[in-house]
Amino acid sequence: MGLRKFSLINFLKKNFNFIAGIFSEIGLTLLIIAVAMLICLLLVFIKSAP
Amino acid sequence: MIPALEREDLKVIGFNLCKFGNIVGFLLLVPIIVAVIYKEFDIIPHFLIASSITFILCNVGIHFLQTKKEMELKHALCFAALVWIFSMLLAALPLWSTGSVNSYLDANFDAMSGFTTTGLTLVPDIDHLPYSVNFYRHFLQFVGGIGIIVVSLTILARSEISSVLAFRGEARDMGIRPNVVRTSRVILGIAITFMVVGAVLFTIAGIKEGADVGTSIFDGLNYSMSAYGTGGFTPHSQSVLFYHSALYEIIAVIIILIGAFNFSFHFAVLGGRRREIFKNTEIRTIFITLIISTLIIAGLLLLSGIYSSPDVLFRKAFFQAASAHTATGFGTVYPAQISAVWPGAVLFMMSLIMILGTCANSTGGGIKAIRVAVIGKSFIKEIKKALSPNSAVVTAKFHHIDDVPLTDTIARGAMLIALGYVLLLIAGTTITMLHGYSMPDSMYETASAVGNVGLSSGITTPAMHGLLKATYIFLLLAGRLEITAVLVLMGFAILGLRRGIKK
Repeated sequence: MGLRKFSLINFLKKNFNFIAGIFSEIGLTLLIIAVAMLICLLLVFIKSAP
Repeated sequence: MIPALEREDLKVIGFNLCKFGNIVGFLLLVPIIVAVIYKEFDIIPHFLIASSITFILCNVGIHFLQTKKEMELKHALCFAALVWIFSMLLAALPLWSTGSVNSYLDANFDAMSGFTTTGLTLVPDIDHLPYSVNFYRHFLQFVGGIGIIVVSLTILARSEISSVLAFRGEARDMGIRPNVVRTSRVILGIAITFMVVGAVLFTIAGIKEGADVGTSIFDGLNYSMSAYGTGGFTPHSQSVLFYHSALYEIIAVIIILIGAFNFSFHFAVLGGRRREIFKNTEIRTIFITLIISTLIIAGLLLLSGIYSSPDVLFRKAFFQAASAHTATGFGTVYPAQISAVWPGAVLFMMSLIMILGTCANSTGGGIKAIRVAVIGKSFIKEIKKALSPNSAVVTAKFHHIDDVPLTDTIARGAMLIALGYVLLLIAGTTITMLHGYSMPDSMYETASAVGNVGLSSGITTPAMHGLLKATYIFLLLAGRLEITAVLVLMGFAILGLRRGIKK
């Protein structure tokens, strides 16, 4: 009673902004991590260059 | 003349403290669930007794301090400072009675470190703590991270005006929504969402690294609570290094960075305003300062020849920089190694970013990235003014959800808070040095305490002098409340002593 059939599509549509927001924030942190990795790689590369 | 607190004012503060204390009483019951799961039946009475003492004390207080007077700003500021001390005294009870720490002072240190999401600890043997006590420490950090006051507002809002003022006192004055009670619920919802996401990721990583499912879930939950709360407590003495896993460290960095973001930023992004990621001045600032500090720390460590491969350099330099900048305190380097092997210049740089801290309205501490941006922009504005003709009008603005004009009042406020942190750092460093520690170590440890970070150069141990423990408890509180509320409380205390409490 009162229960509707669960639809994944409807759930995603209804919460699109929320879910996309979580992924966006995780994406931002991954971007920071990637830039930091690149810096470390470049530093080692510069130091080891003849 | 500043009015001294009257007896009725003390009743308002005391009454609200006692009402709040009941929430601490309920929080003390939560670890019992973990004790039952892990069959630690000998631990249950410790939490039950601590909870009972709290309920009895608070309800006797409520009975005698009953008042209909509403909370005003002066009450709210005193309440915001006292609530941490009051909660610390109560939350320390089970830590002390279970013998997890050596003394009640140590228990208070750990409780304050938990509530202020610092992560410095005086527990001598973390690896052999009962599961329920270990869970309790991390739970304190999660609760502290989303703000004791915010938790109280979601459950116990006496009135809109009281809620607004208590909220302001705890230095979270940039409202997300007009209704503060609803705002607190939003904060709680966002925090729980990210904590659950983190727990799932940590659990998967734990299983992948070969830990059994039960341990992975327990560790995942604890690491996630601590990471999102930018806390720093860990269920193992080796901190994040316990798993020796790059994946675990990357997940930790993701969650601590998310925990370090502003709640109003979370609210905007999760509400569909995803462009805020690129436009927000505070996010841009923390991105730039974190990258620059990583560059300097990695460069110095590379030059000193301690680490030579890029992956190790990344896992040591970036992880420590991210942990320090987000005021978390997770470590992938042992404190003794930091003190003995890392160059003094790195310790200085780490101290600086610990004081700079993370975003405002987040679970972290420090001066805050938005203030760093405001101070930087103010300097640029002043230089532009000096270079422009007298008739020119030089303006500046920053973006935080909306464009905000940079006024002299905002700039002055940011500089005063920054100055307060610097003074605390100098005072704390001096006191630590007077106990016989070196200057780089003292500055590092003090910056960690003032910025509510939790990284240690090895000074914070159970063998530390009692006076230093008490000093650090004060620094943890002053740093968490951005100094103002603590100064107001001290001001009223001094006024009260000088004039005597009226009637």
